[in-house]
Amino acid sequence: MITLEGINRIFQVGDQQVHALDDINLTIQPGEYLSLMGPSGSGKSTLLNILGLLDKPTSGRYLLEGREITSLSDDEQATVRGEKIGFVFQFFHLVPRMSAFENVELPLVLAGMAPSVRRERVNVILEQLGLMDRAHHRPDQLSGGQRQRIAIARATIMKPSLLLADEPTGNLDSRSGTDVVEVLEKLNAGGITLVVVTHDGQVGKRAGRRLRMVDGAIVKDERG
Amino acid sequence: MLSRDFIGFSLSSVMAHRTRSILTTMGIAVGIAAVVLLTSIGEGVNRFVLAEFTQFGTNIVAINPGKVTTFGAPTGVFNTVRPLSLEDSDALNKIPYVTSVVPVVQGNAEVEGQGRTRRTMVYGVGSQFPGAFKFGVAAGGFLPDDDPRAPRAYAVLGSKLKNELFGEANALGERIRVGGDRYRVVGYMQSKGQVLGFDLDDTVYIPAARALDLFGREGLMEIDVLYAEGAPAEEVVAGVNRVLISRHGGEDFTVTTQQQMLDVLGSVLGVLTFAVGALGGISLLVGGVGILTIMIIAVRERTSEIGLLRALGATRQQILRVFLGEAVILSALGGLMGLALGIGGAWLLHFLIPAMPVHTPVSYILMAEAMAVVIGLAAGVTPARRAAAMEPLEALRAE
Amino acid sequence: MRPGDTARFAAQSLIRARGRTLLMLLAMSIGVSAVVILTGLGEGARRFVTGEFASLGTNLVIVMPGRSETTGGAAALMAGETPRDLTVDDYLALTRNPLVSLAAPVMVGAAGAARGRLEREISVVGTTSEFLKIRHLSMDRGKFLPSGDPSRAVNVCVIGEKIKQELFGKEQALGEWLRLGDRRFRVIGVLATGGRSIGVDIQELVVIPVASAQALFNSPGLFRILVEARSREVMPRLQDQIRSTIAERHQGEEDVTVVTQDAVLATFDNILQALTFTVGGIGAISLAVAGILIMNIMLVAVSQRTREIGLLKAVGATRAQVTTLFLSEAVLLALLGGLLGLFFGYLGTTAIHGVYPDMDSQAPLWAVLAAVGVSSLTGLVFGIMPARQAAALEPVEALNG
Repeated sequence: MITLEGINRIFQVGDQQVHALDDINLTIQPGEYLSLMGPSGSGKSTLLNILGLLDKPTSGRYLLEGREITSLSDDEQATVRGEKIGFVFQFFHLVPRMSAFENVELPLVLAGMAPSVRRERVNVILEQLGLMDRAHHRPDQLSGGQRQRIAIARATIMKPSLLLADEPTGNLDSRSGTDVVEVLEKLNAGGITLVVVTHDGQVGKRAGRRLRMVDGAIVKDERG
Repeated sequence: MLSRDFIGFSLSSVMAHRTRSILTTMGIAVGIAAVVLLTSIGEGVNRFVLAEFTQFGTNIVAINPGKVTTFGAPTGVFNTVRPLSLEDSDALNKIPYVTSVVPVVQGNAEVEGQGRTRRTMVYGVGSQFPGAFKFGVAAGGFLPDDDPRAPRAYAVLGSKLKNELFGEANALGERIRVGGDRYRVVGYMQSKGQVLGFDLDDTVYIPAARALDLFGREGLMEIDVLYAEGAPAEEVVAGVNRVLISRHGGEDFTVTTQQQMLDVLGSVLGVLTFAVGALGGISLLVGGVGILTIMIIAVRERTSEIGLLRALGATRQQILRVFLGEAVILSALGGLMGLALGIGGAWLLHFLIPAMPVHTPVSYILMAEAMAVVIGLAAGVTPARRAAAMEPLEALRAE
Repeated sequence: MRPGDTARFAAQSLIRARGRTLLMLLAMSIGVSAVVILTGLGEGARRFVTGEFASLGTNLVIVMPGRSETTGGAAALMAGETPRDLTVDDYLALTRNPLVSLAAPVMVGAAGAARGRLEREISVVGTTSEFLKIRHLSMDRGKFLPSGDPSRAVNVCVIGEKIKQELFGKEQALGEWLRLGDRRFRVIGVLATGGRSIGVDIQELVVIPVASAQALFNSPGLFRILVEARSREVMPRLQDQIRSTIAERHQGEEDVTVVTQDAVLATFDNILQALTFTVGGIGAISLAVAGILIMNIMLVAVSQRTREIGLLKAVGATRAQVTTLFLSEAVLLALLGGLLGLFFGYLGTTAIHGVYPDMDSQAPLWAVLAAVGVSSLTGLVFGIMPARQAAALEPVEALNG
């Protein structure tokens, strides 16, 4: 479902050029479970951001479900992000003034869905994640694990085909971390393509396909 | 995104910073209140003055001697080489639609009666005066319809003058002196009160021809022509011009319809109201700067939220609208608060100083609120565009 | 903490948040400059009117026919006709008063003026030679009316510059004939331009001897008698004497209104002063709005700088010091905004003066002081709440926040 061909990403830092991604070629099949590991500055987050259309490659081609993505306009990319891609962040990124329910609802609101349909869909997903009794709490009234599960609910409410998680357990204790990883894996088992960037080897090795990056290049691609 | 969701979203962030929002709103509210209050006073004065004028009726045409109003006052007060005569006044009676014609000579003289004297306004008028100007006679009658060139020496008193000279006693049939000449009182008028600073009750009415004699004048100061309700004013004016030009051999007089005068007056007062409102608008401008500042701060504070929304699929347009919506909500709420303050203030002012005419037309209320919204939009554009222009990734990273 | 350090601290944080500091300065300066410009306009108008009156001479007493008991002095201007006219003989009687240095009768009216086929309606003033001096007019060409017996009608006239242009164009006007109504007058002088006083444009005037005007308008009545007193001190006495002189001549009836130029001036002065106050007050409302803005932004600053406040407290800053710090920031903002506003206001009034040279639109000192004072006070008042909020923060919480 994803094909990256000759992706380069060069940052200008002062008068120095930093080659964050160096000629990446990668194909991801639908329903795959990838982990992306490597030292800080290896380019794994950059790769994730490019997969998620939050960043643009300096050169190269990116095909998502057979469609050339890099040349899309800003608004078209936004629509693709909204419909096909879900994000889970290390720091949750919940809107503090909104309740859990409203946070989960946000993508549906942006897509212009009718309130009655929204309510049903949010309730279903909160039920699945066991967060029904937390629906009307604000993020600061929730534990870290609960917050991340809310963030996952928000990432998947639009039924995206690709779920990108950037250090999803990085800000959680190990029990909540395992909890969150299990939720993500359950979603993957349901057919969603899952890409997890992590520092944590325990988390990384659970994936069906494990990529290791060093200095902007993929140095290891293990399966099984 | 549904429009109500836009509103809901913007509203939620307005509500999240309550103190800040209230203070921002107050800035606009003070401005709108100032504008509403000031224009209410302006409009009140406007209406008051127009009402003062229209109480004499609107279907009146005034004719003054001379072609231009040279000294800014009615030319009739000053000397002229081309007087208007009683005969002119008579001739105007035959113009179609004209219902009454009143010659006017006005002056100031000592009136003596019952041994008391008082300096008052003297109006030399015709018998049709009360009907034309909607003055009511309290007792007796007005001046009779005598031969305009040789009227009898009858006088009608204004209510104040009647009280000053005769008190509660009956004045009908009594003799008085006006500027030394003897007159018999045939009636007195109902109180009319003050109009634009002139006390219309401290007056005596005598026949125009006798007033000309008394003041040693050749010509009338003004002739007022009253025409039938609904008759075309242009035709009446044309008739007046035709008659007087044929009598004088040239256009040496000035015809002013009441409507023209009201129009001029109305536009002058309108400009004044506008100017006063504009002064109040300065506060509104400052309030607008307040919204701008707060919105810039809000965009800066919520950078990561903007990044999140973009990651979740929000377009730039949607971000723009959310922040514009926030600015407009702040200003619109401020506008409503200001309207309440302004209208309340106007009401209070009228309550404390009943003589102060205030009036707040609905159109002003709507305009003030629209102005608030426009200010919100104007102040919100820069911050909202700044928000929309943010790159999602950088916005997400900001903390 | 020393005052210098406090100021430096405040200035630093203002500079760090440059954008919003500039916006707040803008808001405050709009308010202050509004007050400065508006009061400047009001004051300019007042000075203009005062100047106009002063140019007419301050020792002037004006005698008008008619007197009314109910209405005030201003209404006497509109009193209209009186049974007994104010006459040239009345005027002559007044000139015999030793307290009078100069007097001139004034008769006004409108008449058609014609030269050849050119004709227009103009204002005519009938007076005597003294008029020139009393009204502080000067001649451009020729002479003013000749002195002599005012009851003698001489068919000469003095015309304003605009009349000259319209009826004579570039031709010589002196010595030419001008028809007024049904009489002919020889032009003996042209009035200098620049004389524009209280409502009447000197340039559009024709001045003829008073007796000629009486004949032209077929009326003996004067519109005014202008009397210049020997000195200011004698004016009250002169006013009384004028009243009694006229009453004596009018069979004991006091049927004239005598006002001094000063009284008229004072009325105008009061009205314009009140106007200046009102307009300045309206402008000052925006100062309050700017104050609210400062309070708002300072509150935001306190919540954003919670950590900084915690740190300050951790290193030993007292409540009072934190309060002073934030308060001085607010006052500094307001003061700078006020000064900036003064600058803008000065630019504004200078621009107005450039466009209308007649308007000496300078804001009065009280308005300038009040504007800056009120703006600083606004900063102080509206800064108190945020400053106290900052001071009330607990150090530990603040550090963690």
